[in-house]
Amino acid sequence: MGILAKFLQRTPSEEIDDPRQHLMLDPRPRGEMNAMVMESMHTTSWKFWVVAAILSLIVMVCLLGVWGYLIAEGLGVAGVNRPSYWGIFLVNTVFWIGISHAGTFVSALLRVFKAEFRRPFTRAAELMTTFGLVQAGLSIFMHMGRVWVTYWLVPYPNERGLWPNFHSPLAWDFLAISTYLLASTMYLFQPLIPDLAMARDRSTGWRKSFYRILALGFRGTEGEWTHLRTAMNIFAFAILPVMFSVHTIVSWDFAAATRPGWSSTIFGPYFVVGALHSGVAAVAIVLVIVRSTMKNMKYFIRPEHFNAIGKLMLVISMGWAYFFFNDYLVQWYGGDKFTHILLEWHEAGPVNWIWLLMLVCNVVVPWLFLWNKKIRSNPWAIFVIGLLINVGMWCERYVIIPLSLTINRMPFTWRLYKPGVEIPLSIGTLAFFALLYMIASRLVPLVPVWEVQEGQMAHGLRKVGKAVVPSVSELE
Amino acid sequence: MPETKTLMALFEDIDPAADAVDQLRLMGVGNDQMNIISGIPVAEAMLGRPRQWSNVPRLALGGAVAGMLIGLFLVIGTPSLYPVLVGNQPLIPVPPSVIVIFEMTMLGLLVSTFLGVFLDSYFPSYTPKEYVPEISDGKIAVLFTCPVDQQAQFIDAMTKLGAQSVKPAEAVKL
Repeated sequence: MGILAKFLQRTPSEEIDDPRQHLMLDPRPRGEMNAMVMESMHTTSWKFWVVAAILSLIVMVCLLGVWGYLIAEGLGVAGVNRPSYWGIFLVNTVFWIGISHAGTFVSALLRVFKAEFRRPFTRAAELMTTFGLVQAGLSIFMHMGRVWVTYWLVPYPNERGLWPNFHSPLAWDFLAISTYLLASTMYLFQPLIPDLAMARDRSTGWRKSFYRILALGFRGTEGEWTHLRTAMNIFAFAILPVMFSVHTIVSWDFAAATRPGWSSTIFGPYFVVGALHSGVAAVAIVLVIVRSTMKNMKYFIRPEHFNAIGKLMLVISMGWAYFFFNDYLVQWYGGDKFTHILLEWHEAGPVNWIWLLMLVCNVVVPWLFLWNKKIRSNPWAIFVIGLLINVGMWCERYVIIPLSLTINRMPFTWRLYKPGVEIPLSIGTLAFFALLYMIASRLVPLVPVWEVQEGQMAHGLRKVGKAVVPSVSELE
Repeated sequence: MPETKTLMALFEDIDPAADAVDQLRLMGVGNDQMNIISGIPVAEAMLGRPRQWSNVPRLALGGAVAGMLIGLFLVIGTPSLYPVLVGNQPLIPVPPSVIVIFEMTMLGLLVSTFLGVFLDSYFPSYTPKEYVPEISDGKIAVLFTCPVDQQAQFIDAMTKLGAQSVKPAEAVKL
């Protein structure tokens, strides 16, 4: 406790009152900000290549190699078997879809509500959405087993004269996830166009050609800005219900089944809040890594941003706890015999530590630490808390999927799920996500410079009585 | 019809650019003969420019309707084309149909919004255009057409209002 007390007293009060600690009140010339972002993309140390090589190796071995083995040998080498036919592959699918929610949430919802702190890190979050969905998609294909007959899912009337049943929950999933993947990729690309044009103006060689093609000939005329902003506003409003629908539909894959532990009317919002919980925590993790490893990022990503994200994490943690308790209480009170056995299995079974770890990471840790501004403003504290929340949310999905499948209404089938190749494949998807992000960090301006400059133009200081306070103007 | 020339005046800030727009209007340059190019979106009202028209919302609406029709085909058309009647189950159940129609409507809306920007802005377009890289460094360019014989007066007026440079606009490869 001595260390904690010392830490809490560390920041002098005058630092808190300095308006220049806020990015929006510490403007720099646009040219300088452009140069900083370009430098951050072009400066690559040997450590970057070492980490990239290690991640590539993990992807080659754990993802491609083990997946090849799975395809060659069949699903028998995975741990899925009666009664847990859904294992870690679907845990990962749900987990990565949850991670992907953060990009849209941070970017679209905060844009709709004009939350100014979003400006420097919307793109970093949006990239997570796209790359997270890639991992979710891969996990579904792993779960499928016989990937070479994937075309059976393509909607066309087959030789039996039947269309696939579009009323099936699997069709809902396919439509929701593919709509979200397309929408989030388009939403990532739209605000990127002006920054790609900026990068085009400052690049040479192959990078110039790369940015030139992607910038599409953007100059920044009145018409181009009008069309772009109109589209971004439509996207910000329209992508939110899509985001909510995706994880709700994923939850219905479970809730629509009359199984103990799954048949719940609040699974939709419970899953959505869970997705936001892991997603926002993942944004915090990524921002800490980007800030500490990329040049000039300390100017753009500041303690104020971690403070704001920390508040979001705390509020979402409370929301998650509310839904968890709501779901738990109704099942416990319902009196169904097998549901009671399942709840006891979670709490006191052989792997009850997963259930306890879920509660500690998702509720105890955020509630214990995130109420404090000094902890929230400390990047590495937020990093550790974000990491623990993601561990907790992965455990939550593990509890819901393979652990809950263990207990059903046929006791003679009860058997504890033991993962096989799922573990290296999970490590492989995690490494692939990190590798994609590392590659993107060298090719895509991670900070939307034009949005930051726009925000800095809108902000100023105003004297109210004897105090000088920040104020924001509506520029749109 | 007098011979005309396109000039580009480059300003550091919005205020002198707004004054320049006023001055150009006083000198007889119509709204359709000038354009503003900037590195950040500058609202029309700030520069005293007429509101820009965008077809993106209409295209988005059209896309949403098209998406909804595709959704209706999937949930009503396909089971009607190849009916498989299962005891006591409806051929076209409403609640699952709502989900599919919703997803397809949103997909149509979002894709058409995205493509709407391409259509309205003529993207991609890699032909040479009037542009200078300083614009993405925060400068505001006022692009206008003036009679060749009055070019010197226009350059003088823009310089007096604080233009950093006023030059004949050159189409450059983007």
